[in-house]
Amino acid sequence: MRHLGTIAGRELKSLFVSPVAYVVLTLFAVLAGFFFLSSVLQFSEYIARLTQFQILDQLRELNLNDHVIAPFFGVMSVVLLFLVPGITMGLFAAEKANGTDELLMTSPLTIWEIVLGKFLAAAAFVAILVGLVALFPGILFAYGDPEIPKTLAGLLGLLLVGLSYGAIGAFASSVTRSQVIAFVLAFVLLLLLWMLSFLADLGATGGPLGGSSALTETLRYLSTADHFEEMVKGLVSTSDVAYFAALIATFLLLAKAAVESVRWR
Amino acid sequence: MIAARGLSKRYGDLVAVNDVSFEIAKGEVVGFLGPNGAGKTTTMRMLTGFIPPTDGQAVVDGHDMFEDPLAARRSVGYLPESPPLYPEMDVEGYLAFVARLKDVPRRRVREQVARALERCGLADVRRRVIGALSKGYRQRVGLAQAIVHDPPVLILDEPTVGLDPTQIREIRGLIATLAAPKDGETQHTVILSTHILPEVEAICRRVMLIHRGRKVLDSPLGELTAGGRSLEQVFAQHTARDEHPAEA
Repeated sequence: MRHLGTIAGRELKSLFVSPVAYVVLTLFAVLAGFFFLSSVLQFSEYIARLTQFQILDQLRELNLNDHVIAPFFGVMSVVLLFLVPGITMGLFAAEKANGTDELLMTSPLTIWEIVLGKFLAAAAFVAILVGLVALFPGILFAYGDPEIPKTLAGLLGLLLVGLSYGAIGAFASSVTRSQVIAFVLAFVLLLLLWMLSFLADLGATGGPLGGSSALTETLRYLSTADHFEEMVKGLVSTSDVAYFAALIATFLLLAKAAVESVRWR
Repeated sequence: MIAARGLSKRYGDLVAVNDVSFEIAKGEVVGFLGPNGAGKTTTMRMLTGFIPPTDGQAVVDGHDMFEDPLAARRSVGYLPESPPLYPEMDVEGYLAFVARLKDVPRRRVREQVARALERCGLADVRRRVIGALSKGYRQRVGLAQAIVHDPPVLILDEPTVGLDPTQIREIRGLIATLAAPKDGETQHTVILSTHILPEVEAICRRVMLIHRGRKVLDSPLGELTAGGRSLEQVFAQHTARDEHPAEA
């Protein structure tokens, strides 16, 4: 595994000499700023209205975590859904298009080193994005008193969501030599995964499809959104963390199989 | 140094390489000839471990390519048909990356890269971005990545394709020095594929001819041209019945 750093380092460097990293970072920062501002403004407007009408019990329940940070993190998890594929699309597809896969596959390193090294690079980039997100609640700490553990749990959730998206994007990139196809495939997979909770809602009791609780529960369990929301509420449970770990492991295994498959043909 | 034993590669019904065997001794420079689509690239890809053979065995420097792949791959420097370059990297950074991939000890990376740069005449462009280099220079960078870890075996797939005559002469000169090193340098064993006959006459001492996936000729260059025949006539004779050219 000593080549992990070599692979990951080259990948990161390449991201930062191409425009991709900067486009993604800029877009992400602008969107984060916009959504943060809008949730703060909504919050203060809400307070103003509640104060005006003296609705005191609701006013007492208001807090920064549930009404500013949670919606902000929620929106940012959707932004990741659009941007992470941009980071991962080149991981394997670009190697194949350049012919450099032939260099990697004839060098003394294992396929796991290639796959994990590339995932590590994507993970580092996702960590930078989540670090950017963390700056905004940081501002709130200067003016208010959000709960630190709850905020950290949400950030951890966002990180795990981002890492899962990274693994899925890596897989999408491993099955094609076109970066465009890798992007679209990753995006479609992520969208499906994200939509599972809506499907679950349709099937839930009282929902349009009603009934079948086993199916509903399964869909709900498979959806990233539901596990993420639990963490944003401050509940870090083993089962949620295990869900993300399993998701990441599954797609990295698939990516490894796809990379290895050149040897089967 | 290099041994192929009954190497075969089949893709469904298509037989790309059919039962090819040979042994190449240390320090030999072997020209691997054949018409386009004869199976040269496929054979080289099996020797370098990029693809596994359907049948047979490839042994490099005493290591079986598929039973002991990491050690075997460490002994090989490989220049594929299109040089495996990252256009966004600079020459020096790229070679350092390859050196680390090939397990050059960390403290020797700088020295090995400097040597490869110098041997391939790349010292002047070491900081240039690869994507901005001319084709000739990119080919040299490809050759530099093949020798950066000083491997005993070099496998070069059409190393001079697409170069101008001056560049071709330079690359050939370089390959010749790799096989006949000065004191203290590794003596490389070289297989190079080509369909340019004068290239073989210029640098190889032994010729292997592959046609429709089969080895049809394997002989020292001197013997082939002994009777006053040109290599071209020999080539034509052995590939004459080419009515159904195989796909590449």
